[in-house]
Amino acid sequence: MKHFFSFFTIFLIAIAMYAQEYTLEGHIYGEDNKEPLIGATVRVEELHTGASTDFDGYYSIKLKKGTYTITFSYVGYEPSRQTIKLSKNEKIETYLSVSAKQIKTVEITGEGATKNIRSVEMSVNKMDAKTIKQIPAFLGEADVIKSILSLPGVSTVGEGSTGFNVRGGGIDENLVLMDDAPVYNSSHLFGFFSVFNPDAVSEVKLIKGGIEPRYGGRLSSILDIGMREGDRNKVEGSGGIGVIFSRFSIEGPIKKDKVSILLAGRRSYADILAKPFLRKDLRKSQFYFYDLSGKLNYVIDDKNRLSFSAYYGNDIFGADFLRFKWGNATSTLRWNHIFNEKFFLSLTGFYSKYSYAFGLDFKDQGIETGFDWNSAIVSYSLKPDFTYYLNKNNQLKFGIQSIYYDFKPAEASFSTDGKDQDISMTERFALENGIYLQNEQEIGANVTLLYGLRWSHFAYLGPGIKQNYQDTTAGIRKPLKSVEKYDSFERISDYHFLEPRLSVKYSLDEFSSIKASYNRMTQNLHLISNTVASTPVDIWLPTTNNIKPQIADQIAVGYFRNFKNDTYESSVEVFGKNLKNQIDYIDNTDIFFNEELEGDLLSGIGRAYGLELYVKKNEGDLTGWISYTLSRSERKVEGISKGEWYPNRFDRLHNFSIVGNYKLNDKWAFSANFVYSSGTPVTFPTNRYQIQGVILPHNVQEARNNYRIPAYHRLDISATLTPRKNVEKRIKGEWVFSVYNVYSRRNPFAIYFEQDEGNPEIAKAMQFSIIGNFVPAVSYNFNF
Amino acid sequence: MKRISLLFVLCSLIFTSCEDEVDITLDKGEAQLVVDGFITNDSNLQTIILSRSADYFSNTTTPAVTNATVKVHGPNQSYDFVHSQDGHYIYDPSTFGALDSISFPYKLEVIYDNETYEATSILQPVPLIDSMTQMYRAKSLFFMEGYYAQFYATDFAGRDDWYWIKAYKNGELLQNRPTDFTFSKNGGMMGLEADGSEFLGHIRSAITKSDAPFELGDTSTVELLSLNEAAYNFLEEVVTQANNGGIFSAPPANIKSNIKNTSGNLENKILGVFSISSIQTKSLIISN
Repeated sequence: MKHFFSFFTIFLIAIAMYAQEYTLEGHIYGEDNKEPLIGATVRVEELHTGASTDFDGYYSIKLKKGTYTITFSYVGYEPSRQTIKLSKNEKIETYLSVSAKQIKTVEITGEGATKNIRSVEMSVNKMDAKTIKQIPAFLGEADVIKSILSLPGVSTVGEGSTGFNVRGGGIDENLVLMDDAPVYNSSHLFGFFSVFNPDAVSEVKLIKGGIEPRYGGRLSSILDIGMREGDRNKVEGSGGIGVIFSRFSIEGPIKKDKVSILLAGRRSYADILAKPFLRKDLRKSQFYFYDLSGKLNYVIDDKNRLSFSAYYGNDIFGADFLRFKWGNATSTLRWNHIFNEKFFLSLTGFYSKYSYAFGLDFKDQGIETGFDWNSAIVSYSLKPDFTYYLNKNNQLKFGIQSIYYDFKPAEASFSTDGKDQDISMTERFALENGIYLQNEQEIGANVTLLYGLRWSHFAYLGPGIKQNYQDTTAGIRKPLKSVEKYDSFERISDYHFLEPRLSVKYSLDEFSSIKASYNRMTQNLHLISNTVASTPVDIWLPTTNNIKPQIADQIAVGYFRNFKNDTYESSVEVFGKNLKNQIDYIDNTDIFFNEELEGDLLSGIGRAYGLELYVKKNEGDLTGWISYTLSRSERKVEGISKGEWYPNRFDRLHNFSIVGNYKLNDKWAFSANFVYSSGTPVTFPTNRYQIQGVILPHNVQEARNNYRIPAYHRLDISATLTPRKNVEKRIKGEWVFSVYNVYSRRNPFAIYFEQDEGNPEIAKAMQFSIIGNFVPAVSYNFNF
Repeated sequence: MKRISLLFVLCSLIFTSCEDEVDITLDKGEAQLVVDGFITNDSNLQTIILSRSADYFSNTTTPAVTNATVKVHGPNQSYDFVHSQDGHYIYDPSTFGALDSISFPYKLEVIYDNETYEATSILQPVPLIDSMTQMYRAKSLFFMEGYYAQFYATDFAGRDDWYWIKAYKNGELLQNRPTDFTFSKNGGMMGLEADGSEFLGHIRSAITKSDAPFELGDTSTVELLSLNEAAYNFLEEVVTQANNGGIFSAPPANIKSNIKNTSGNLENKILGVFSISSIQTKSLIISN
């Protein structure tokens, strides 16, 4: 605590007090749908300063007495300019009208174009739903997670695999938030699609570095997904019919200008289409997914707003003898309150659950065997966040978060011969707390600092057990020494950390700036998975007395520059990361139904470093971006690869992607997307030997990830046809034609070895590609 | 997770996934001595096979080791395993008797290239096979039409036992692929045990292949062998590594051997396993 207080003192001294100032505040809305515009810019022309709006479209600026010219602007909308004589606190609510010129061009971003150089934020990428929908997508279906793979520093282990890797981190190191509620598994159909319905998403923000103290709990990134608010003025709907699924959403006011609602749903229908082609005895098979998203907004008065958002979705696979289902359920309740023009509260409560069920029952097949397995992670949280505009130059944020976790690795039973065996695993509980304080401070015209501290605490709680293991040579299974029982809410183990964060921006001129940041992150939820791609049945475990918290320290430095009146924005960033307590597994560990799994875990250190280049064209008929990442991600674990550094499974040396959108005329728009990334590492044997006639692989060097599969590259294209609008018609539609993997590249997902059917002494290397061909698709989207 | 790959097959109905054979050049590793040492307590010829590991893609039988000395030390004497051909070292129990001292830790000693390698394996008892039965099944989703055999045995009560079940059809080994290997702990499977009682149905019926059941006149033979925990783990790892591949596979790992180099040269590691088993055999002729 000593450190905390000395920090606090420095913090207070750093905040210089200023002379009498007045507050200019208000909201910026889009006139078309009366929705708040997030990230819209407010510029004080005389002072060359400004502010941007938050998630509620709210802005606030401190100014001395005087007359100012204020410009409100947002891409895709006509800017509005007003002259204000400020001699008291003023409130200006602004409605921007849709730009007649802009609507013709392809809108690429919801971000004020200059924000990337003016803001202290670095290593941050944002995308709005419109941009996501433009990128050519697999089977023509826009996808949030697949879209962010085109950004610098983001990669995946292969086509159709769950999650994403940020700056050399594992998929469990990303905190994926849907309206503040964490999503523990973001995949539909094993990862071909993500659970976020683009129709319900307003903006996606990916934070890879310079992570503010208000975020915590994961090492690598925050993916903040904001759900859209329903239109407050009129009822609108939209939908789409595609090859793999259909979508429908509806929104509108329940009470005009006060209460609005948005509902969006999707369902895949591969099972319905496939039914006629299946063998008669497989016709009862099911394989589909669905999801529902909804948000309710209530503007109580000038000072109070309430919103409730929820998501529910499942993937279902089934046949006569098989039942397999997984899905998320989240809900968020948020109250925004304005105490006064300087002081705001956002109080958020959420519930989030990821669960799966796997069942086998062979009774109808004449085998008296059944298997039933249910698993879940459930979390509840309360989170008050405060913002205090201390003065023109200092914006304070502070808050608390508590999350209570319930881990159910397995509630399972296995039966045969009329015998039933409970093979459930111990349920675990934990409480995670965070307290943060941060300040964004402007010093002079050119320097902005964002600094603060997060105190994080994690308690592994009873009822439960504490397992004590005997030490062994690294790589040998640790034998269980003793087990202690704990009662409800007794602390089995706890850990706390101070996480300092600092970001600095220095403006070189009006078009360019340099930025640097440092952040420390800790993580106490661990996804237990030792497979090539993550599976839906992977389990989350808390930090315990044996599993230590993962820690990451990251430094990033960047140069940001805009060209040609902000038509182009560009950035160069380098980053370096040090990681501690990375989890790995003793060879041949069984990660399922293993009560003594903690004895099979290894702990190591990691490092990742890289260079990221990004160029983006924001305006004109041709828009798009190019990103390139050169990076390394490695790990060193006693007991693996002889204790030497070895590349992580998701290490990609080169990662390149280019996205282009071209608006030919009012009728036709075209998009293309090309990606290239170095092959991922794999472990191959050096030798073979024979036991009982079986050919077995052996690696003399005991090396992990000693080879690389060939590079991945792919081109996708799409064309959008918007038929001439009939003014009479209420429904407007568009056709999207797309081809995924245009030149039919068989990108390897994995390479493995198998014995020849005819002659078992002949071994063959087999390359497995998830997509072996080009995939054409057509979909029809409409709105009314 | 075999079940998951089944789901992926369902998935590939929709997507055009594919497998291609590719050429891979692998690093070459130094060859090592390999011991395939599974012996039993019965009076048949006992064989221990010695070979050397080879380049992974050598694609022929790995080279035999013919000039080693192989001995198994029993309670009162040592048994010489004499090389006959192709690295097969044979002991004939009709000379000095079977290796049948239950609970005795038999010790393997291999001397090769001036280095000594040793391993011990305790001979565990195995229960009698009480009986065998047959049952006719019509064609269905999981079964081909034909006769399905079962064997009945009772697990020893109050102790941990590991078994290896080998099945034959007309004298030919049915489980010749690692996927078909059948093991059991305490007569059960997947944590469901049958300690002290009859083996569970899954294990009892594992002696028939569902894609090629028995016909009238066929002979079904079952061998029930006891295993040590170490040998059981070794065989489980063999199955895992031999079937490892695909999307949801774990990183390949070397299989741990229970044989140690006792000459003090720790660099010269050895591959394989030494295991002594008690064995029970029973046959059934499929009839009307």
